[in-house]
Amino acid sequence: MDLSVQQFRSKAEQDYLDLYTKAEKALPGAGNPFVAALRADAIKAYGRLGLPHRRIEAWKYTDLRARIDEVHPLVTALGIPVSDEALEAALGSAIAAFPAYRIVIVEGELRVDLSDMSGLREAGVEVSSLSHLLEMPPEWLKAALGQVNPREDDAVLALNTALMTGGVALRLPEGLTLGKPIHLVHLDGTGEAASTFTRNVIAAEAGASATVLESYGSLGMTGLQRNAVTEIKIGDKAAINHIKIQREAPETIHLNVWLAALGADARYNGFQLSTGAALARNQVYVAFNGEGSSADISGACLGRDRQHCDTTLVVEHRVPACDSRELFKVVLDDEARGIFQGKVIVSPDAQKTDGKQMAQALLLSETAEFDSKPELEIFADDVVCGHGATSGQIDEDLLFYLESRGLPEPEARAMLIQAFVGEAFEVVDDEALREAFNAASAAWLGVEAG
Amino acid sequence: MAAVQETVERVKEIDVDQYKYGFFTDIESVKAPKGLNEDIVRFISAKKHEPEWLLKWRLEAFRRWQTMQEPEWANVHYPKIDFQDLYYYSAPKSTEGPKSLAEVDPELLATYAKLGIPLKEQEVLAGVKGAPRVAVDAVFDSVSVVTTFKEELSKAGVIFCSISEAVKNHPDLVQKYLGSVVPATDNFYATLNSAVFSDGSFVYVPEGVRCPMELSTYFRINAEQTGQFERTLIIADKGSYVSYLEGCTAPMRDENQLHAAVVELVALEDAEIKYSTVQNWYPGDKNGKGGIYNFVTKRGDCRGDRSKISWTQVETGSAITWKYPSCILRGNGSRGEFYSIAISNGYQQVDSGTKMIHLGKDTSSRIISKGIAAGRSNNTYRGLVSAHRKATNARNFTVCDSLLIGDKCGAHTVPYIEAKNASATFEHEATTSKISDDQLFYCLSRGLSEEEAVALIVNGFVRDVLQQLPMEFMAETQKLISISLEGSVG
Repeated sequence: MDLSVQQFRSKAEQDYLDLYTKAEKALPGAGNPFVAALRADAIKAYGRLGLPHRRIEAWKYTDLRARIDEVHPLVTALGIPVSDEALEAALGSAIAAFPAYRIVIVEGELRVDLSDMSGLREAGVEVSSLSHLLEMPPEWLKAALGQVNPREDDAVLALNTALMTGGVALRLPEGLTLGKPIHLVHLDGTGEAASTFTRNVIAAEAGASATVLESYGSLGMTGLQRNAVTEIKIGDKAAINHIKIQREAPETIHLNVWLAALGADARYNGFQLSTGAALARNQVYVAFNGEGSSADISGACLGRDRQHCDTTLVVEHRVPACDSRELFKVVLDDEARGIFQGKVIVSPDAQKTDGKQMAQALLLSETAEFDSKPELEIFADDVVCGHGATSGQIDEDLLFYLESRGLPEPEARAMLIQAFVGEAFEVVDDEALREAFNAASAAWLGVEAG
Repeated sequence: MAAVQETVERVKEIDVDQYKYGFFTDIESVKAPKGLNEDIVRFISAKKHEPEWLLKWRLEAFRRWQTMQEPEWANVHYPKIDFQDLYYYSAPKSTEGPKSLAEVDPELLATYAKLGIPLKEQEVLAGVKGAPRVAVDAVFDSVSVVTTFKEELSKAGVIFCSISEAVKNHPDLVQKYLGSVVPATDNFYATLNSAVFSDGSFVYVPEGVRCPMELSTYFRINAEQTGQFERTLIIADKGSYVSYLEGCTAPMRDENQLHAAVVELVALEDAEIKYSTVQNWYPGDKNGKGGIYNFVTKRGDCRGDRSKISWTQVETGSAITWKYPSCILRGNGSRGEFYSIAISNGYQQVDSGTKMIHLGKDTSSRIISKGIAAGRSNNTYRGLVSAHRKATNARNFTVCDSLLIGDKCGAHTVPYIEAKNASATFEHEATTSKISDDQLFYCLSRGLSEEEAVALIVNGFVRDVLQQLPMEFMAETQKLISISLEGSVG
């Protein structure tokens, strides 16, 4: 008797499988056995996992099976014109004009015409479009792609690996210190609602240091379904600042995964600011593979209307003597929903670990909701780990104080909210970026940056 | 350094590497046939001469249970339980309705004496002047053998008896409240309990009465291959107060025994219930063989305005503990508290915590949890704090601290915090660390042995919770903590 159980699949769940079947032969690197095998394994893993739903612990508060009804086709329109004005409108003036080596990815296509590839190459960075490299991946890419911090149980990541089309591959050679940040601009298109799967792979060799800014904005597409993954391998004594600002169109579904792994005495500062998208799920996986390293992963999420913003972190201390810090600030208005899940895992060997985590939410309306789950999983005894979580509304005493000094209520509120969020910006080293974030939060609040 | 001296003496008293309640009483018992089916459910119900409605309730739960699956989300690992390989009913033969203490099997009395539980009223009365009096309901395997101080309690209007007796004598109260906090379909083990529960305690404190003494139930598993499924129901009517303590032990055995209890608390307007547990089931030997599986559902319902329920638990026993004493803060201005010490050593696994569900306005809750993991054990705090849309001005304060002793154990914290109301103020903090070398060195330099020093420091670590225990159990608990940590150093 055949006892195999026919798994029920939702329409969207099946759509993704169909998307792969249809695109398989045309995907970049389809002719390369290494890439083809990587994709085939990934789609098999997705088939086994299915779309995440609330019965899966890590997705308890973000039910993709319920939220995604159907999957849009892969983007096909290439080379659409992007004017400077359009770029500025998509990213905001401060970020658009941010002095950096700019690389522009539109609908999953790396646009050489809009990017400063030559500047980066002159500075000593190996840079290519990922889709180009996938046709014949060099050894360093093979060693990084899907290998930096492998996750067996993440369906979003598996989908990305199966369907990745664009993005950038960057290699910072040993000892290189990049004077200017690298700015990876991710834009949607202007046509029909579509799905896009971008992948960036960054390998920082020993002693290299750089700032990588990822920005996500909209040119005007309604209903983009974005799946974006960045893998970042940080060699011994290397230092990477990794920053993201997401302000996509209000109907967008934004699924993002960062995978980072640190060697010895390395440093990783990650920061994310989210204000856009209908549903944003930001997953950050960090693994310490070498002793004496430190990571700071912080961020802020500003949500209103019916926005849903989920930040999920997993920090794995696998070796002794590493430090990790997290600080997340969430501001929610209207019926917005914010989620913070942070998990710190300390392996039996990871003695002398120092891990601190804090998530704070400010609820501006009666109908906003904040759910948090800060988790500690500790198997070593010589550690100092802690986490905190708070949720509340604006402190009436502080508000009264400001009002008694003559500030009108709306301004006083805005000031307090900005101060609340601003604490998280402190971890961003680059002053110009900090300013840009302050401007973005001010714009969200509808006040002048102060 | 009086406190140090005291601890040293206390530690000295302790036998090394011994679970002192591990003896077995050879007493003739009546058992239902092994296994579980509708007939067993009917057998238990008939044995207790239960009314038709209760049998129906049990059978419905049983049918539901057959469709349910064991929960797998907890951070505990154990071989699958064969539910057909258990006895679901076991009662000491000679205790078919003893009329008074004199009729109770002397073997039983000896057992309880050995456990240090006073079942003889006169002994307590003749005891040291001012010694606190505690009314005890003793549950031996599946039945309640005796309840003390019944008469004195009934003068105050307090009903304290076994739940079987309550079904007979106060059916309206039982029918009204049974399953109203933990529904028969709540979860796998609660549903199993609803189908086969054998005995447990029933408390009703009438309006405006402050219960004149501490109430206590003492659970003892004795028979082999037996599951214990007791059910406790406590109702505090308007403006009343009751403090209740439960204790539990079991013999040492190679096999794992299942204990799946349900505790329901109902606090009406302005009432207060204080529920304390000292859980010391047999934890298994030092190689992780044997021990009790303690899968318990405990929930309190602050049904009336300004009511209060406070849980205090000291968890030192059981091979596996899976329990989350919770408070449903339904009444406006109601308050829930949870104080917990969970100690795991050897191969013990603990997954415990609480749920504070804020439904009413101006509700507040407080959680203090101290987890101590030693040996090769795993100790998880899992808790939920949630405020619903209408729970304006809900407040919660949570502290959960974990202490690790040794490098083979694990301490985990999994809190869920859900705020659906802007005016809810939630604060949560958690820390994990080991015993500081400075503290240890200080104690050692004062001449304490390492083991004594650890016991002293741990007792300091859990002090916030210890203070919540009724006086007479505080000292007992401190001793228990020292015993539990034996063999964890070096």
